[in-house]
Amino acid sequence: MSILLGEDQVAFGAAAGRLVAARCDTAGLLGLLEPAGRDDRAFWAAAVADGWSAIVVPPAYGGLGLGLVELGQVAQAAGAAPVGMPWLAPGAIVARALLRGDDRAAAQAWLPRLAAGERAALAFAEGCEALPGTPEVRWRQGALRGDKHGVVGGLAAAVALVWAGDGTGPVLALAELDGSVARRGIDSFDNSRLPADLAFGGTAAQVLASGEAAHDLARELMAAWAVVLAFEQLGGAEALLWRARDYAVTRRAFGQPIGAFQSVKHRIAELYGLVEIARANCLHAAACDGTAEFARAAAAARLSATEAYDTAARDCVQVHGGLGTTWEGGLHLHMRRARSLAAECGNTLRWEDWLVDAIAGIAL
Amino acid sequence: MIALDAWRAQARAWLASVAPRFGKEAARGLAPEAHLALGRAYQRAKFEAGFAGINWAPEWHGQGLTPLHKVVFEEEEMPFGMPMGYFGVSLGISVPVVMQMAQDRDWARERVLAALRGDEIWCQLFSEPSGGSDLAGLRTRAEPDGNQWRLNGQKLWTTWAQHSDYGVIVARHDPALPKHKGLTYFWLDMHAPGVTVRPFRLATGDAHVNEVFLDEVRIDDTQRLSPVGGGFAAAMATLMIERYSAADPAGFGPPLEAFVALARVRTIGGRPALDDGRIRSVIARTYAMRSGLDAIRTRAMRMMEAGMEPGPEGALSKLVSVRSRQRLSELAIDLSGALGLAWDQGAWVKDDWVQSWLSAPTMRIAGGADEMLLNTIAERILGLPQDHRPDKGIAFRDVPV
Repeated sequence: MSILLGEDQVAFGAAAGRLVAARCDTAGLLGLLEPAGRDDRAFWAAAVADGWSAIVVPPAYGGLGLGLVELGQVAQAAGAAPVGMPWLAPGAIVARALLRGDDRAAAQAWLPRLAAGERAALAFAEGCEALPGTPEVRWRQGALRGDKHGVVGGLAAAVALVWAGDGTGPVLALAELDGSVARRGIDSFDNSRLPADLAFGGTAAQVLASGEAAHDLARELMAAWAVVLAFEQLGGAEALLWRARDYAVTRRAFGQPIGAFQSVKHRIAELYGLVEIARANCLHAAACDGTAEFARAAAAARLSATEAYDTAARDCVQVHGGLGTTWEGGLHLHMRRARSLAAECGNTLRWEDWLVDAIAGIAL
Repeated sequence: MIALDAWRAQARAWLASVAPRFGKEAARGLAPEAHLALGRAYQRAKFEAGFAGINWAPEWHGQGLTPLHKVVFEEEEMPFGMPMGYFGVSLGISVPVVMQMAQDRDWARERVLAALRGDEIWCQLFSEPSGGSDLAGLRTRAEPDGNQWRLNGQKLWTTWAQHSDYGVIVARHDPALPKHKGLTYFWLDMHAPGVTVRPFRLATGDAHVNEVFLDEVRIDDTQRLSPVGGGFAAAMATLMIERYSAADPAGFGPPLEAFVALARVRTIGGRPALDDGRIRSVIARTYAMRSGLDAIRTRAMRMMEAGMEPGPEGALSKLVSVRSRQRLSELAIDLSGALGLAWDQGAWVKDDWVQSWLSAPTMRIAGGADEMLLNTIAERILGLPQDHRPDKGIAFRDVPV
């Protein structure tokens, strides 16, 4: 099924857009690029005050009890900036894990904190594998040991959901990131994502799911995570589409606006196509959360949003000519974010494979 | 009014019931005359069953339902491969124009009935040897002669003109005016003296398009469908009539499932093609693109149901889907290696990769070339400037050739 946004949902997205417009500017975002370990904490506080962290948490735990559609509207607004903090998607996905996992006590303990803006991270990847078949990180007798790589928000998260093995199969375990965790920051091209390698040294962790159930839950969480990131990618791609368009109608060369040249106008029209296909896939995926089609729809959203954002980043710079390449112009903020979002939740190649497995009916 | 779900079920049941008589297997291998006869019989059956003129008013022999009901029927009809091609332009464009603009209303009502029953076919005489995309650059002359007009010139790419009883035509009544202002819209009897129709074959070998020569063809002023000089605006309006029609994310070619099925039985260097990363990448990306177009289509349907005008993104469908179909068809043939050389010329386009590949170029040009669709998106949706147009604002006869 595919939805039309309701008035409330549109209003929700518009409010998020206003917050982003009021609180994010290019100079501020550029300032976060070079120093490792800094994010826009003030923005996150304002976003939390506006309910961003509470969206998918049920009212019983202090949340708004909304779904992926509303979360997506907010993510899209965040992607348009692009905002200088990574907390929106991981917090929502950890909340989702708690709601689907077996551990009621953990849910009671953590959902209210997540709703109130607790910083969370998803520690699934090892090396270049987004979801390794046999994770090296071990959960034994209530504690985690081993290394996780490229954890977004890993430098400053308070809690992490960890993909690990217990010797017989996989587990998903929730760990408070205390002094037993060594955080090694990664100096990245998009530093406000706060990426870090995490070395767990006997870190206490509660198992939310194990064995086949852990595998299924992890895949389901990756799908939902991918949808949220796809909305962020969509927001970025759409912002770049309009920046390219606005520049093409004002900038003149050879006696006319450059947008009158087909090599420029067709490039922007093609971008429109990629953005609209990504938007349709994102909305469709969010709307079919919970159905059998969700895995395929999420993969389609992820692939088309990655393609839209990457292409927009490339082409918007190209349309701007030399001006697109300057530091102060800030288009590289989006270029960087397009790549970091593409890498954060399973790369394109992995999602292509997952999607083909789902289409061809091959056991996952 | 019948609810859409019930309508869809009714359409599906009826289509299934007549598929043995009219479906792709029944049509297979028929000689041209027999195929046309089958098409007319199918159109007649549609009319009698209440599936023709679905969104036309009852006083025009229609069913009085919504454009959405029409789209739903078309969606259900598409997989059967029914012989409906003869009536696409006739009932989709030409007859609605006559219905809206013909001066003699009783005569128009008779034509509408005959066309809905498949007894008469109409064509649309727009494109010419000197231009298709540049419609307003057409050169066919309509010269006033008392209360008549004399037509002289040549049309090209006229779909099904060889079977048409009537046509609608745009011609230049005054070359002293700027190109868009000097055009007038008429209807024409295709059997009138001076009209010569010559079918020609396309790359697939089939001949549904024609050259039409007009030599001193006399038509009455009552056959004028637009104000004098209002031909271009009327032509643009007619293109809008078709905006509610079924889209196909597969670009009217084979579905992705067919490609996956092919990849299952093919190997590359002894390894299953379905395990090959290049093939998997194409499957995944094609799926992502088509599912997006499908969601756009579904959303448009929902908006129409809710009484809203669908968004402009529907304009993407033909551009994106047909281009993709062309490349996927190439790859499907390639994937088969030497087995890919065979061609079943009678196969239906949605069942056969060669048929799909050979006819894809036509689809990328007919009804709006890719480049024109990109211009439309850029200019109408994004507000980008028009191309440099040296022919603007000057008398047509002064436009450099």
